[in-house]
Amino acid sequence: MSSAKKSSFYIRRIHSLVGLLPIGIFMIVHFLINSTVFINGNESYLAAVNFMKTTPGVIFLEVGLIAIPLLFHAIYGLYVVYVAHNNALQYKYYRNWAFYLQRITAILTTIFIVIHVWTLRLAVHDSQMVIQTLVGWLQNPVTLAFYIIGYLAAVYHFGNGLFTFLITWGVAKGDRAQKVLSIICFCVFLALAVWGGGLLYSLAQITF
Amino acid sequence: MNAPEFIQLRVKRQDNPTSKPYWEDIKIPYKPNMNVVSVLMEFRKNPINTKGEKIDPIVWECNCLEEVCGACTMLINGVPRQSCSALIDKIYEKYGSDKPIVLAPLTKFPVVRDLMIDRQIMFDNLRKVKAWVQVDGSWDIGRGPRMADRVHEWAYPISRCMTCGCCMESCPNVNSKSNFIGPNTIAQVHMFNAHPIGEMQKEKRLDALMGPGGIQECGNAQNCKRVCPKGINLTMSIAAVNRQVNKRALQRMFDK
Repeated sequence: MSSAKKSSFYIRRIHSLVGLLPIGIFMIVHFLINSTVFINGNESYLAAVNFMKTTPGVIFLEVGLIAIPLLFHAIYGLYVVYVAHNNALQYKYYRNWAFYLQRITAILTTIFIVIHVWTLRLAVHDSQMVIQTLVGWLQNPVTLAFYIIGYLAAVYHFGNGLFTFLITWGVAKGDRAQKVLSIICFCVFLALAVWGGGLLYSLAQITF
Repeated sequence: MNAPEFIQLRVKRQDNPTSKPYWEDIKIPYKPNMNVVSVLMEFRKNPINTKGEKIDPIVWECNCLEEVCGACTMLINGVPRQSCSALIDKIYEKYGSDKPIVLAPLTKFPVVRDLMIDRQIMFDNLRKVKAWVQVDGSWDIGRGPRMADRVHEWAYPISRCMTCGCCMESCPNVNSKSNFIGPNTIAQVHMFNAHPIGEMQKEKRLDALMGPGGIQECGNAQNCKRVCPKGINLTMSIAAVNRQVNKRALQRMFDK
């Protein structure tokens, strides 16, 4: 499949684009909706989950804006991971490690999202059941560790992916621009990491 | 630094393009101010390895001996660089003189023999993107416009590329599973597209770079810039050409 004759230009560009839009933006919206847990725990969180689930036509958004782009990004992305010959131990530069981490987090995030979606969207559907299942996962140390690794992988992949997106689309060209934008993107990663950590902590406090 | 008695080398050898590689330990008496090329030249006068066996001299390629041709590129202690500008005393300063210096052929190119590799793929890639200024025709087209100094300032360093292969060697996306055209070729497109006459083939170059193994295969590991012996800002060129190919893609979709 190394496509000796066919060009991967458009598929690669679409892969880069959907990583930010809609997937990255969806992740932030997802975090925002989860943040209702900060207001008054289970009560407001349950209301938000109910609102999402009862919005008319939400299934079309879920399939069109989340499932299809995410599946495409994940499946083609795994091929991109396969094509790389990582050499971070030989060339120990920051960007080369980021390149390697981008691929490691790609795999971790894929595993995390598959299980996350299966357990909280496909296997159960009732809002209260969804929250109970999630809180159950977060109150067990092993599955909590799984969640921490999963969300950290996802937000790192987003932060670093945002930076390479800016190069791929020709925004970050000069050395100074690349340096400043890579710092900003790293801050995006840190901010999302803190935010996501706060979410997990608050969700784990929910009692029924 | 205490001068060692011998300069010891550990060389990865291969008798022919298909045979198995093996390691050979060799040494020559130490002299100051040698480089890897002069050590290999000294060794071939009396090619006896450290086990005392008479062996075939080590095959490598070299040409200019001043780091402008790229022919003598090899892995020296794991770093892709030119062996002519790899000074033994400098290597000893960095790694210590007690350990042998490890020489190996580049890994991203077919080995011809020992340290000699075939970089033909890079020249084929340059041909694919028309990395030249096209002036041939059936009549004299006269002098072209001058290049502005502000363009010349960033384009000149790119012209120092010697197609040595260090960027290809360090790139994780250049390997047997991919057909990535490599950082150097993208930089050449950046340069020739900025040339007042070269610019006339701009679209053809960009179309080639959007083809199989084109610029889209870059994964932004940015090793290329770090290992380039000529200090070419390959990552700036890649981003700049990304801009050009994106614009070109829009043209191809909406200009007709």
